[in-house]
This record gives sequence, C-alpha cells and structure tokens, in this order.
Amino acid sequence: MDTSSPAAFVNGGLLRMHVGRKVRTVIQVTRSDAGSVMGKSTDGCQLVVRGSPPAPLTSYVEVIGVAENENSIRAELWTNFGDSFDASNYDQLCQLANGELKHLFL
Amino acid sequence: MQTNEFHGNAVFSGGGFMPSQATQTVPDRPSSSYKSDARCSMPLTVKQLKDLSRVGESGISIDGVDVNNIVLVGMVSKIDNAVSDCTFRVDIYMFFGVAFRPVTDFNEIAKHFIEGIYVHLYNTNLRGGMTTQPEVANSNFGNPTKSYGYQTNLTNQFSGQYNTVEEQIRGVSSKVLQYLRRLACLYVFNASETGVPSDVVVRELNKSLQFLVSEGLVYTTIDDHYKFTDA
Repeated sequence: MDTSSPAAFVNGGLLRMHVGRKVRTVIQVTRSDAGSVMGKSTDGCQLVVRGSPPAPLTSYVEVIGVAENENSIRAELWTNFGDSFDASNYDQLCQLANGELKHLFL
Repeated sequence: MQTNEFHGNAVFSGGGFMPSQATQTVPDRPSSSYKSDARCSMPLTVKQLKDLSRVGESGISIDGVDVNNIVLVGMVSKIDNAVSDCTFRVDIYMFFGVAFRPVTDFNEIAKHFIEGIYVHLYNTNLRGGMTTQPEVANSNFGNPTKSYGYQTNLTNQFSGQYNTVEEQIRGVSSKVLQYLRRLACLYVFNASETGVPSDVVVRELNKSLQFLVSEGLVYTTIDDHYKFTDA
C-alpha cells in the first residue's frame, strides 16, 4: 500500500499551509482558459488551478495536485463534481481535517 | 479487512459503526474493546488503516473497537479482470473481491470522511467518559444546516412537574428527543428508513446507566432502581 503522498484537504485559506505539497480541493469554476481554471474555493477565495482540465467542466470540480503558492495549484487530477455541491459541508471537512483531527488524514 | 464478510447491501446502506452495536453491556476501561456487529461497517481513511497497531480477536481494532467491515472511498485508477477474480486498484489502496458502488452524488465523499470523523470522536470519547459528549459542528447528517450540541450531565436537567404540554416538550421530552436524534445518527447507517428499534433504545439506556454506575455517579438500590449520587 503506497501512502507516501496523501493529498491534504484544503480550502482557499488553508492552501498556504501546504505550499509545495500535495493537496485536494473543490472549486466552483468561474473562468476556464486553456491551461488554467479560475474558481472560488469553498471558503470564498479565488484560486487558480493550472493544468489540463476536462471538457466539458461542470460547475464544481475537484482538483488534486501540488500547491504552488497560497492561491494557486498545479493540478494532476481533475474530477467533475457536478453542478450541485454542498460547498459549506466540504469546507467544514477541510477545517476538521487540518485541525485536531489531522492525524486521521495525514 | 475480511472480504468474505463483505455484504454490499449492509456496507453501502450507509456505512458506520458505533459501539452501540457491541455485545458487551458494560463499557470497560480503554484496554478492552467492543465486538462489532457484522451488519455495521466503519468508515475509515487510509491513514487510519495505515496506523493500525493492534490486531484484535477478529482481525483489526480501531479506536479500541474490533472491526469486521470497513468502508473506504477512493477513485478507481485501474481495473484488471481475471477469470474468476476482479482486482481493483483504488487510488492508493488495493482491494480484492469486495463490493463496489459508484459514487453518484459527490457530496458523499465529504460525507464519508465526516462520518469517519464522527465515529472516531464517538469511539474515543466513549473511553473518556459517557457524561462528556463530543460536540461536532454540522454533525446532523440529515440536515447539514443544523448542528448538534451534545449536553453533558443530563441528570441535572430535570425540573420536576410540568404544567403545560409546552413545558413538557421543552423539558424531559426534549432531552429524550435529543437522545433519539443521537441514536438515529448512530443508526442512520443501518436503518435510515425504519429508525431506531425500541429494544436498541432500551439497550443504549441500560449501557449508559451501567457506565454511570461504574463511574460512581449512579448506584442501584433494589431491583434495578437507580439513584444518582450527586442528588
């Protein structure tokens, strides 16, 4: 079992804690260009995700990749999460997974 | 993970294991563990599996609970079909001959991990004492907009007689309702349609009473009559 590179659940505010490391997050797509997607994180921050997004993109997409800086991710994996998603629920998970329950995830 | 005990319907009816399923009637000290009910499954993260340090009687033990069935969420990255077996490589873990169900609502992914957090908190707080309940934000699985606050020391909440229906609803009945909500959370994984059986409610209450007895907060007098010590 290879557990060498787990992706941390992050929202916009938590991204800065994992710069240079593997992260996963869900964004609501606001703009999509060739090579990058801009979106709103579950806590309302604007994030840029670089890479090759799937086509077509749904409103919500999960990205797994490496955090480049506090508002940018280099995505390795994209997954369409549909047009209806509970961002608040996911955001709570991110906070829990980075708080005192971090030991369950990383 | 004992794949020969995996039953798809049971596993994916929700996925969750709570000590209420245990066959033991008295919550013991941290060194002992509950036995799991084969109907229930425990939602886990891969990290929790990786951190397994103790093998109990039935194979694996997590947070002091013997576990037979588990639920993981992952992304299928490779499928190899053999003559009689299917091998799936899911994300970073390898399964063999287990039940699969595709995720159709992606909220289930967050739900799985939140359930795992809840089960972990419940199991670990159970060891710390029944009277201190975990307070988990947005833990109402039926309605994400609500949140639970678990009350401590329920014994001092009763205030005697109620003159009106409204008072009764606000008083003891509200505590019972709160308790039922909590049980419903524990059992949502197995009986979301039918609710919590009354024998389970009684069993849970008895377990709580017996724990309070072991902690010295309650004692029995005659014929299973209970009296609290801080009256």
